[in-house]
Amino acid sequence: MSVLIVLFLTAVLVLFSGVFEKGKYARYIGILGLIVGLYFSFLPDCEFFAQYKAMYEYGYNAALFTKISIVVTLFLFFLGGFAFSNHRSHQSELYSLMLFALCGGIVLFGYQNLVTLFIGIEILSIPLYVMAGANKTDLRSTEASMKYFLMGAFATGFLLFGVALVYGSVGSFDLYAIHDFAINNPKNLMLIMGSILMLSALAFKVSLAPFHMWSPDVYQGSPSLITAFMASVVKISGFFALFKLMTIGFNGIAGDWINILGVFIILTLLLANVMGLVQTNAKRMLAYSSVSHAGYIALIFFGLNNFSTYILGFYLFAYSLATVGVFISLIWVEKIKKETSFAAFNGLGKREPLLAVVSTISMLSMAGIPLTAGFIGKLGLQFWVRH
Amino acid sequence: MSCLLFTLLLLPLVGSGLLFFWKNNSSKYIALAFAFAEMFIAFYMLGNFDFHPTVDAPLQYEIAYPWSSYIKSSFNFGIDGMSMLMVILTNILVPLIILSSFNEKKAYPNSFYALILLMQFGLLGVFTSLDGLLFYIFWEVTLIPIWFIAGLWGQEDKRIKFTTKFFVYTFVGSLFMLIGLIYVYNQSASFALTDLYNATLNTNEQTVIFWFIFFAFAVKLPVFPFHTWQPDTYTYSPTQGSMLLSGIMLKMAVYGVLRYLLPITPLAIGGISGEIVIILSVIGIIYGALIAMISTDSKRLIAFSSLSHVGLIVAGIFASAVVTMRTGLTFEGGQGAMVQSFAHGINVVGLFYCADILYKRFKTRDIRKMGGLAKVAPKFAILFMIILLGATGVPLTNGFIGEFILLKSVFAYNYIMAVLAGLTLILCAAYMLRFYGKTMFGKGDEAVLATTKDISSVEFSVLASLAVFVIALGVYPQPIIEMVSNSLVFIYKSML
Repeated sequence: MSVLIVLFLTAVLVLFSGVFEKGKYARYIGILGLIVGLYFSFLPDCEFFAQYKAMYEYGYNAALFTKISIVVTLFLFFLGGFAFSNHRSHQSELYSLMLFALCGGIVLFGYQNLVTLFIGIEILSIPLYVMAGANKTDLRSTEASMKYFLMGAFATGFLLFGVALVYGSVGSFDLYAIHDFAINNPKNLMLIMGSILMLSALAFKVSLAPFHMWSPDVYQGSPSLITAFMASVVKISGFFALFKLMTIGFNGIAGDWINILGVFIILTLLLANVMGLVQTNAKRMLAYSSVSHAGYIALIFFGLNNFSTYILGFYLFAYSLATVGVFISLIWVEKIKKETSFAAFNGLGKREPLLAVVSTISMLSMAGIPLTAGFIGKLGLQFWVRH
Repeated sequence: MSCLLFTLLLLPLVGSGLLFFWKNNSSKYIALAFAFAEMFIAFYMLGNFDFHPTVDAPLQYEIAYPWSSYIKSSFNFGIDGMSMLMVILTNILVPLIILSSFNEKKAYPNSFYALILLMQFGLLGVFTSLDGLLFYIFWEVTLIPIWFIAGLWGQEDKRIKFTTKFFVYTFVGSLFMLIGLIYVYNQSASFALTDLYNATLNTNEQTVIFWFIFFAFAVKLPVFPFHTWQPDTYTYSPTQGSMLLSGIMLKMAVYGVLRYLLPITPLAIGGISGEIVIILSVIGIIYGALIAMISTDSKRLIAFSSLSHVGLIVAGIFASAVVTMRTGLTFEGGQGAMVQSFAHGINVVGLFYCADILYKRFKTRDIRKMGGLAKVAPKFAILFMIILLGATGVPLTNGFIGEFILLKSVFAYNYIMAVLAGLTLILCAAYMLRFYGKTMFGKGDEAVLATTKDISSVEFSVLASLAVFVIALGVYPQPIIEMVSNSLVFIYKSML
């Protein structure tokens, strides 16, 4: 929890640093805070926080995912100086909102209670609604923000309704109480309904079909750096929350939700890949690719074992790094050419060879070609799916 | 001794990394130096190679390091007779391929040569790895450089479309192979080659795995219905790309069939699947030859002739395998396949180079618009003839021995198939001689012929060294046959 406090304080500092020199120092304070946060994430949590164990526990898995998401955010912050150099005002707000969203993600890594889950999701989402609309003069950005907000509100409604049903049947918000109850009463219809509603809500967040409709528009409209943030950190958080909820909380009734998830996955893989093929805009194509990756990662639920968390972490980390790599060149092209169609990328290799090499390797990693991290991630998933 | 193989594998990678940053006109000389150093190492290894090992499945120069305990796979490399032959082929052809581009002005020469060396790294990895996952990884590593070579230096208007088709086609094939290998892995609990061989699978499982793995090889070879990427890719790639694709990359699949497919899925091959493959490849032999007869594009003609020749190689391998499963150990088909792979690698690289030389003179690939070159370029006419006869399989050239053994093995399986497959000799002579006649004799464009000189010293040295191999191996093929026999006996024996 000390990481959370460090990052939260950094976010507040970054927000207020906007008062001085038009927010010139915001990024540097943010980077410093993230590095301190990364240092704290390696330490075991303070004894003092153990008393909040029923709500939030900074355990081994939480630490792993916290590190991953802090590292990815750091990369995005490094990229920020370049990406945000167009709009000089309101920079500090964007950075602090990113940090707040990261805090929400970290809450999701360690939640032990459905209330914490809900709070984490909201802390993660509300800054994102604002960030999606950060290009205030751009109509698409405003549309993205509005769309994301409405869809997110929908998902929140689902989530709360699901939580209510689960609470109604179990009588507790505690994850492990739900776990025990689900094992003892596998035929409780209210619990099953609740679990499916919560699954749907989280499927919204990680953009699994058929709840993926928002993602292409939102990804395209948002400023590119924010899109990269959504495709990496938000996905990591959402997925781990879903993973923890389904494998711990609703483990006992797995037979009831696994088929629904299977349908989601098949739909996702089919729809997203086919739609991704016909896109002509790189950003939109990446949005569909991110949807299809969500479908692929969700295969982890088939064939769970001791390694699953590590495979999940590895895959998400590899995918996030690849996303950042691709977005570097996307941001560069967007800045020079003011658009992101495939044609805008023509001649990138000649003008910026290093950038072209980085994004090529990243894309190969996304495609899962051997000798890239993406291949190992996919291989790991394949292995346990087949078991 | 194991450090020798290590050097052999790493040297191209080092060279490739160096060349990516060597933005200088001298990059081609550096690439050539690396390739020659590599060739020297390969021949040194051949010199110390034990041709008559006393134990079964002799692996020499073996390297083994654990890699991942979570996925039971290891860095395991080693060389037996089959690998040795393929390593030699790769290391003879890569310097010649690099040399063949010396007269051209390429854009970004350093990247071009870096990619060729990276390709060499991947190919050597495929031929020496003794681990299923490693094999798959190197198999894909070869795909990336050739994709870039064909995509960046190919014919301007067509390259993007056809390289995409090529990439997607072969990548889909390889993924099926990966799934097949993972299935076997789940039974054997390790990717080590010997464990994969020993996996216990029933006939139905083997049949499914056979088609999954064979799909990858069938695309790469290519076998008849999976060949549609090949003519286009060969035609629109730069010459060096076509040489790499047809000369060496295709042999990866021949090697893969022998090394992985036969020992892992013998029951499937003994059943109906093996016969289907033989029928498909015989169709490919005749189909490829017939299309080559009417092709007017020189590179497309060579591409279809390659389809026809490869059909015979595959038919030979599977004919022997089926006979082995039915009546008892025969490994002639494998022998013929290895000899013919080596010969075909040399011949097809020569043919593509000849097509390139013709293209440079006449500025067209249409063979109807060429002619009369023999008069002004006699040296070229002679060398072209030698290589062409090698491809046709005339006695005393390298093509003859391989085709003879292959046809013999197909005959042992079924004489009707053998007669059909034997058509390749006649048809091949027909289209090859038509190719030669149209381009070298007859009336040509007088304006072109007036300014044309005979081949340059670089072109001469490449073609002459290939021609030397064509004749030398045709007269005395015994070393190659001896080299591969031991490992082939082991492979065909492990089917039983």
